[in-house]
Amino acid sequence: MSLMRQVFLLMLGAVLAALLGSLAVTAGSMRQLLQTQVQVKNDDNAATLALALSQQRGDPVLMALLISAQFDTGHYQHIIWRDAGGATAFERSVRNGGLPVSIAPGWFIALTPITVRPGVAQVSSGWNAIGAVEVQSHTAYAHDELWRSSTRNAALLAAVGVVAGLVGLAVLRRIRRPLDAAVAQAQAVMGGRFLTVIEPKAPELQRLTRAMNAMVLRVKSMFEAQGEQLQVLRRQAHDDPLTGLSSRKHFMAELASALSRDDGPAEAGLLLVRLRDLQGLNLRLGRQAVDQVLMAIAHAVKAYPERVPDCLAGRLNGADFALWLPAPGVAGETAQALAAALRVSLPTLDSAVHVAVGAVELSREQPAGVWLGEADAALARAESQPGFAVDALITRPAAGLPQGEHAWRAQIGTALAARRARLVEFPVLDRAGRVLHLECPLQVQLDANSEFEPAARWLPLALRSRLTADIDLLAVSLALDAIGRDNQPRCINIAPASLLAGNFVPRLRELVFQSPQAGRKLGLELAESAAIQHFDLLFELGRQLRPLGVKLGLEHAGAGLSQVERLYQAGLDYVKLDVAVVAGVSGDAARAAFVRGMLVMLRSLALKVYAEGLVDSLDVQALWDCDLDGVTGPWATAQRSVR
Amino acid sequence: MLDPDGGGQFSAHVRWRIAALLGAGLLALSTISVSMAFDSVRLLNAAVRIGPRAVAEAPLLLQLIERAAALDEVRRLSLVNAFFNQRISFHEDVEVWGMIDFWATPLEALDKGRGDCEDYAIAKYFSLVSAGTPVAKLRMVYVRAQLGGKSLAHMVLAYYAQPGAEPLILDNLVADVQPASARGDLLPVFSFNSEGLWQGVGQTTQGDPVARLSQWRDLLARVRAEGF
Repeated sequence: MSLMRQVFLLMLGAVLAALLGSLAVTAGSMRQLLQTQVQVKNDDNAATLALALSQQRGDPVLMALLISAQFDTGHYQHIIWRDAGGATAFERSVRNGGLPVSIAPGWFIALTPITVRPGVAQVSSGWNAIGAVEVQSHTAYAHDELWRSSTRNAALLAAVGVVAGLVGLAVLRRIRRPLDAAVAQAQAVMGGRFLTVIEPKAPELQRLTRAMNAMVLRVKSMFEAQGEQLQVLRRQAHDDPLTGLSSRKHFMAELASALSRDDGPAEAGLLLVRLRDLQGLNLRLGRQAVDQVLMAIAHAVKAYPERVPDCLAGRLNGADFALWLPAPGVAGETAQALAAALRVSLPTLDSAVHVAVGAVELSREQPAGVWLGEADAALARAESQPGFAVDALITRPAAGLPQGEHAWRAQIGTALAARRARLVEFPVLDRAGRVLHLECPLQVQLDANSEFEPAARWLPLALRSRLTADIDLLAVSLALDAIGRDNQPRCINIAPASLLAGNFVPRLRELVFQSPQAGRKLGLELAESAAIQHFDLLFELGRQLRPLGVKLGLEHAGAGLSQVERLYQAGLDYVKLDVAVVAGVSGDAARAAFVRGMLVMLRSLALKVYAEGLVDSLDVQALWDCDLDGVTGPWATAQRSVR
Repeated sequence: MLDPDGGGQFSAHVRWRIAALLGAGLLALSTISVSMAFDSVRLLNAAVRIGPRAVAEAPLLLQLIERAAALDEVRRLSLVNAFFNQRISFHEDVEVWGMIDFWATPLEALDKGRGDCEDYAIAKYFSLVSAGTPVAKLRMVYVRAQLGGKSLAHMVLAYYAQPGAEPLILDNLVADVQPASARGDLLPVFSFNSEGLWQGVGQTTQGDPVARLSQWRDLLARVRAEGF
């Protein structure tokens, strides 16, 4: 039994006992008083009657009349005149049903008996003793009064009891609020959410809450220290030491990750910026001045990823910088704007400093090699011109979906209604090769007769049409069905845009609620960027769904993870490290050190850590050495198909 | 030892006497059959509480009851009547007790050696009951007495040998017991006795909050406490 229920029952018991006790005491003393009253009445009335009878000179008719008069006008059970020999000379008494009986119920009369001895007085006529009178009063009126006052008392006390109960309940609720807060905090800590709560006023709870808050703050400061350390490791592993941009290796890994994602735009742009005549400048200006020039270029390039999420920038080698723009139709403008900015800033350092900019815009389906090849060609064309030169090659691929947005929206709506969609499955394996869970991206069959299309084809349009919530719910429902069939844990990617839809979380909850068994094997994951931008929505999602057993994870996690404010409060179950972080760890100690640092931080929050997009078995081995929980990607898929 | 102003140094002696008396009293009483309710030990204890003179009178009272119990009922009346008429002299309650009306118990009356009409009647009544006279045969009677040409509110004790028979009157105004017909000077008004009250008086009346509000009931309780 819960503590609160025990306290409540105790209170209820005390109030009831007090009520019944006072009722019994009141009724008891009332009964005693009435009994005494009736006794006095018996005795006194007997004496008075005997006195009157003694004045009748022994005339039996007069005496009988007197007795009858007294009986008829009074409240008597019986009046008996016995003669000197003890035989009844005259009697008046209430036979059964003669007078109204008490209104009190029988059990009450049995419980509160009023036993009164009859009053007796001697009667004489002159010197002659002519017997005695015996007077017994009716007790029904006493019982009536006792019953009436007892019921009135009971009602009054019940009202007082109800008021006392309500006051007690209110007080209990007041006590309960801080207690619940303390319990909720403890539960949140168990679930990996380190929250602080307001200290209650009750000293016992205050000490408890203070201790918990202190612990949470300590976890927070530990986490922050680890985050700072991680930043240092990240810079060593990923950044060009001079400019702070991504190194060539890391940029290539990031580019590969960006191209392989489902949730990017169909087309994107890549810019290459080259400082012309680096060797000449080195000779003429000296290394320090050239470094300043490079820093100035890096500064101009860096402005884009700082402002645009998912935008990537890197220094490919000495004189070359790269900028990847995750949006269609902006590469040309960006190249011109960047060149213009540099044309203003660079001559202040030296008039002979020039850059060439090459820009391409391609379909994201193209592999990284093609992107770099095309961008190189554009850069070469720009370099063939003197001074600040820009060359933009914008190849607009034929639109995959020729219809207008309205028609498309209708098309995908029909597909959703008909549930023309399926989940494809990619395994997440642990070290021993066991399947931890299946990653399940959704494919939609837009036309009844066409192929199932991957997310990259329709997700950008779905985002624009605000249909992601419906799509994600369909994916979750398919996953729950599939789990119901084979009991294999599955996870579904949730678009950040879905969280913004007002009724998404309640609908999701309802869906999971209907399949509680399968719900416990379901995972939901969000991109790291969503956690940074919409932390509160992520927090709410976890608060609503984790109690149902749903796992919550972050995918594509990397450097940004340490920027997730209050990650220690989020209440996550696992994190999937982005391919940009984990690719190439086998050959690079600094990258491996960064991954290890991430692992330490995430493990301290009791999270499982997986790696995404792995191709190279050497990398996989290096990650097992870092003690990772699981891997996914082409390598894992190949492993599974081999088995 | 009859000195009423005995004081403190006297009391040790008195106590010794009581112890002796107790022994003697018990020995004497063990051979007599008296009323079941009578308790001589309680009577002697009560006498110590009431006063030195009561301590002296108590053995005499015990003796009286003992002797009376051995007699038939009519001769018993004369013995008891004579005893109290001798040992108590008539005085108003105001003189004796400082109260308008006070009903004294037999021991209280003997202790003072003085009392008014109801004190005689009370002492005779309880002594007779203790000596074995049935309560039903005795009645205290309020009477109007003609004394020297003037009327007087008076109380006497009446004895009825049979129910409805002519009673014998025990009165402090007249030395011997006479039948009612010989007492033309008395006009009876109302009579009462302890019938129905007496048997249970020790148990119920003492704890009864209303008992002390009635002269008669209060007296019954006090008499019971003296062992009658």
